Amino acid sequence: MRLRHALAGSALALSAALLAAPLGLAVAPAQAQGYPEREIRLIVPFGAGGSTDIVGRIVAQPLSERLGRPIVVENRGGAGGTVGTQAASQAEADGYTLTVATTSTHVVGPTVHDTVEYDPVADFAHISLVGETPYVLVVNLDLPVESVQDVIDLALERPGELNFGSAGQGSTTHLAGEMFLAATGTEMLHIPYGSNADATTAVMSGEVDLLFGSMPAVLSQIRSGTIKALAVGTVTRSPQLPDVPTMQEAGVADYRASLWLGLAAPAGTPQEIIDRLHEEVVAVVSDPAVAEQLANNGAEPTINSPAEFRELIEQELVTYGRIVESLDN
Amino acid sequence: MDFLSNMGLGFDVALSTSALLYCFLGVTLGTFIGVLPGIGPLATIGLLLPITFHLPAIEGIIMLAGIYYGAMYGGSTVAILLNLPGTAASVVVALDGHPMAKQGRAAPALVITTLASFAGACVAIVILSAFAPPLAAFALRFGSAEYFTLMVMGLVAAAILVQGPLLKGLGMVVLGLLIGTVGQDAVSGLPRFTFGTLELYDGISFVVVVIGLFGLAEVMHNLSLGDKRESFVSRVPWRALIPSRKDIKDSTLPTLRGTGLGAALGVLPGAGPAIASFAAYAVEKRIARDPSRFGKGAIEGVAAPEGANNAAAQTSFIPTLTLGVPGDATMALMLGAMMIHGLVPGPQIVQNNPEFFWGLIASFWIGNLLLLILNLPLVGLWIRLLAIPYRWMFPAILVFIAIGVYSLHQEAFDIFLVVGFGLAGYLFIKLRCEAAPLLLGLILGPLMEDNLRRALLLSRGDPLVFLERPISLTFILLTLGLLALVLLPGIRRRIAAVT
Repeated sequence: MRLRHALAGSALALSAALLAAPLGLAVAPAQAQGYPEREIRLIVPFGAGGSTDIVGRIVAQPLSERLGRPIVVENRGGAGGTVGTQAASQAEADGYTLTVATTSTHVVGPTVHDTVEYDPVADFAHISLVGETPYVLVVNLDLPVESVQDVIDLALERPGELNFGSAGQGSTTHLAGEMFLAATGTEMLHIPYGSNADATTAVMSGEVDLLFGSMPAVLSQIRSGTIKALAVGTVTRSPQLPDVPTMQEAGVADYRASLWLGLAAPAGTPQEIIDRLHEEVVAVVSDPAVAEQLANNGAEPTINSPAEFRELIEQELVTYGRIVESLDN
Repeated sequence: MDFLSNMGLGFDVALSTSALLYCFLGVTLGTFIGVLPGIGPLATIGLLLPITFHLPAIEGIIMLAGIYYGAMYGGSTVAILLNLPGTAASVVVALDGHPMAKQGRAAPALVITTLASFAGACVAIVILSAFAPPLAAFALRFGSAEYFTLMVMGLVAAAILVQGPLLKGLGMVVLGLLIGTVGQDAVSGLPRFTFGTLELYDGISFVVVVIGLFGLAEVMHNLSLGDKRESFVSRVPWRALIPSRKDIKDSTLPTLRGTGLGAALGVLPGAGPAIASFAAYAVEKRIARDPSRFGKGAIEGVAAPEGANNAAAQTSFIPTLTLGVPGDATMALMLGAMMIHGLVPGPQIVQNNPEFFWGLIASFWIGNLLLLILNLPLVGLWIRLLAIPYRWMFPAILVFIAIGVYSLHQEAFDIFLVVGFGLAGYLFIKLRCEAAPLLLGLILGPLMEDNLRRALLLSRGDPLVFLERPISLTFILLTLGLLALVLLPGIRRRIAAVT
């Protein structure tokens, strides 16, 4: 019975997604009272199946239960998440369009792509972070290193000879690597792959020596022992990998690279609605069952206030902006 | 017998009532999703993913996997009947499947597809269950250099695929390669041919090109025929469903050859199933006593790619399960589903979660059997689709195309692109240019370029890297052999004579 219910629900969601979106959502006066009165659209600015999509869906399900309305997940991938984010920034600010905001869409994308037409700070009403996934320095098993210091020594001894992989030129994994080179004064050759999965495979096979991989992409390989994790880019250790030190513990000061994910709405969404959503998102992420699903997917459940969220973006725009500038020169 | 006890364990899991139910649900849903052009398993699995959070891991994954390979069955159906392929693999099946349908032999074509799919899947499952770990290790030895030389070989093989004048075919391959250059360049990160738009940043989606060049162009072409194309058939006697003994005999060996190719290529993360279908078709055409029958309804041209496609669909689970490396977006989604349930894909999954691993593999067998049982009677139903007058059929097709394409990225822009490619496809039909080589160029081009540039980056610019690595060298030698076959004057004359 439960299954039939669930399937019927998803069929409904499918038809809603197919029908509602192209027609344009009916323009309703923004009313905080009685919100939400109809289904909410959650733009996931990446394709189905990526870690952002999975995190979005993990949160959307319980959030819709709490709000009492369906949340229709709309995957609008493209150009590193900037296509979907741009659409979200231009949507009606009535609380019925939300988007998943990440390091890619709100920091790296606007920094790397000239064509981005939104301001990641001014054009959004930030709701709350949902999770943070560290970048993990992983190395091929045959590379004769046991610690981050070994990697630095090796790179200093053989400048330019080590290869580090990434999910693409200008991707967050690439910039996390460049940040490491800048912080340690080392030189390595960057080898771009088409995706996190391809880059991870390349470390496993030894085609590249190391990778600053996003946790969801490398966690299972680390656990099964096919690649070695040396450090995580977050300020605190990851509960998923309690034995792996942070970059700072490993001796690289000022290094912080993580991919955070949160929810945001277009700027101008009524404050009461943002407050309500903030409250509900915090409740959802604090639910142990949701937290476990997030953790299994490599994302550490994290929350913050709308103001803190905005500050985080402003800070990182500066940090990443500096890295990208040094690459261009 | 380790293998038998493992499979025993697997069937224990997969034959439980709830596992059977979810398997059935998955394959049924997959079949119907596959029939709708453009709406692929990816969107469906994405929508159903949250539901599996509430299911036990094994049942959830069995259902999602069922959708994946069920859609392969369904995709071939609509490709054969209406020349509306939605995937690269079904493009190849349609090359001869659709001409068969036009000749009133849709039923045997569909029955053979179903049987070839089943055979391909079954053989591949044996390989999957017996050799998964060593095969995964082999796949890891494929680096950028190996991928590049493999793709080069694929392109040369495309020359065999070409029907009619060689120059036209090569022109279409080059056009495909050019379309493949649109979008962000992976190495420099700079956009190419995007005209400053974000929509073209990730290149032109393969599905958009397929649906436009084949589906939409076919609709336009049919309408231009006027009354001649009102309907293929008025009535299908049930007897006509049964393929003749000759059909079965003609497709047995091609199915097996296709299965072998598909099983091997499916293991490689990336374009496995698509390349497998093209390769299987090219092989059959190459070794056929009368290659001129191909493209005009040769049953071998249906059986071989179908076997290859389904074998590859099964063996593509090898890298996903044992390396934790997804071959495509759909596999990535399945991987995500597994991780949410706390299952860690990788070499240890066989030891750590034997009931999951073997249960899933056993479910593939059951699922494929269910598909066979489900699809054979459905053939009769699908055939009746052909009796619908075209003036009612084509608006429905257009609506489904629009919905399907829109569901890809929720971009209206994609629909405009489909219209553009539809017009181009119509032009190609009028100019008698085959669109299949274009697709091969489109699939292989970007992969070839990225891997070439990566291989050269890794070797610090030394091109000898392609000769120094044994697997890569093997592909180069095979390619030279193929080239010799195509270019040697005697053989060329023969090709000219038969086309």
